Amino acid sequence: MIVAKNLSKSFKNIKAVDDVNFCIKKGEVVALLGPNGAGKTTLMRLLTGYLQQDSGEVSVYGFNIAENREDALRKIAYVPENAPLYPEMSVYEYLRFAGSQRGLENDDLNINLAEAASQMQLSSVFNQRIDTLSKGYRHRTAVAGALIHKPRILILDEPTEGLDPNQKQDMRAFIRHYGEKNIVIVSTHIMEEVENVASRILLMNKGKLISDTTPVSLQNLYPDKNMSEAFRLMTSEK
Amino acid sequence: MFQSFKAIFYKDFAAFFRSGNAYIILGIYAVLSFASAFYFGGYFSLDNTSLISFFYFQPDILTVLLPAVTMRSWADEYRLGTIEYLLTQPINYAVAVWAKYCATCLFGLLMLAMTLPLWLTSSFLINLDNLNIFSAYLACFLTVCTFCALGCAVSAFNKNTVIAYIITIFVLWGVYSINLDFLLTSTQQFSDEVFAKVIRSLNFSKHYQDVISGQIGLDNLIYFLTLIFPALWVNVVALDYKKQ
Repeated sequence: MIVAKNLSKSFKNIKAVDDVNFCIKKGEVVALLGPNGAGKTTLMRLLTGYLQQDSGEVSVYGFNIAENREDALRKIAYVPENAPLYPEMSVYEYLRFAGSQRGLENDDLNINLAEAASQMQLSSVFNQRIDTLSKGYRHRTAVAGALIHKPRILILDEPTEGLDPNQKQDMRAFIRHYGEKNIVIVSTHIMEEVENVASRILLMNKGKLISDTTPVSLQNLYPDKNMSEAFRLMTSEK
Repeated sequence: MFQSFKAIFYKDFAAFFRSGNAYIILGIYAVLSFASAFYFGGYFSLDNTSLISFFYFQPDILTVLLPAVTMRSWADEYRLGTIEYLLTQPINYAVAVWAKYCATCLFGLLMLAMTLPLWLTSSFLINLDNLNIFSAYLACFLTVCTFCALGCAVSAFNKNTVIAYIITIFVLWGVYSINLDFLLTSTQQFSDEVFAKVIRSLNFSKHYQDVISGQIGLDNLIYFLTLIFPALWVNVVALDYKKQ
């Protein structure tokens, strides 16, 4: 369970996240939805402790991220936007590094590494340097690195950005599957993705959480509109 | 915690070789060290029982080359965006800072190890004062550790490796060439002995010369440690500052 209470964060005079509250439970795939600059990435960075909130708190399975940062982060894996990786490493070296970072050793490391690589279908590029990989494979490598310790909460920032249609499909299928037994939080502004993977939507605009709903409820709110139009209506200036 | 330390330490140390930078830096270091000893240091003309011609130029060479080792440690993480990955791992910032720092120090040690053949070869030619040479290597290692700590701290404030390199050279040059003895002459009437001691103790060259001449004392060690630990602390503060 991950809980955000009265979470706020400002950069100078701009309120990036403004008094956000929610509670996400196991088995939910949550789409963090909003236009560019809505505060999605800032919220994710607050949830992962990368940024420090001005007020409010984040609790991860009972651990306050400001007070028990390391305990809280053991349960989380985060793949930032553009899936940053170390270009001079091979896929295998990167996954070993990711596993070691999470305290995995010997057999545990080898087993989890093989499992994460097979989940992301990386066997064909296992020994290839990351800087020679296609964008799709890089993305999968980053996700495999995040999965290596089997996190209970997986946070993905724009997970299908730059992927081809087949890769998008695979990634969405994976998110749905992983979200059955864990928590997955996905930041996106692609409505097709929301319809495809999310069981819940947190809609943000100008730092505020303007709606906490389900795809079905959002659709019911505007029965004569499709999801994209509903999104536009809820987040437009007018 | 140790596992995370090991992972980052190994990643950073291996990165020098994976990127190929290691071979260039080691090569240039060897050329500069031997060239300075043979051509400018008067290796063949001086009484060289303690290889003074070699050790005399080491701080100058390290001032130019160690920033190339440390510049990537944090600046590259910012540039690649991997800082966001690294700092969302369940690891204490201080552990990450130590791991990266130790990786640069080990590389510095490797640089020094490249020059050991000079010691070995010279020992066949003349009677060397081996204890003194060991002490001089210790001075170089302390210099490496100090410069690496300062370099890593500078790197933690920069996203651009080139800027980090330039600022580090400037900082190291400042530390290396600091000499406030002029204050003693200008304030001779007012200054007491304690003040004079404090002023003299800030002189890097004095401590370096003490150690390479085999007169290592507690004050020398304290001097180097008082540069290393605050620099590492500043490094942690720089990471914490990024959270704001």
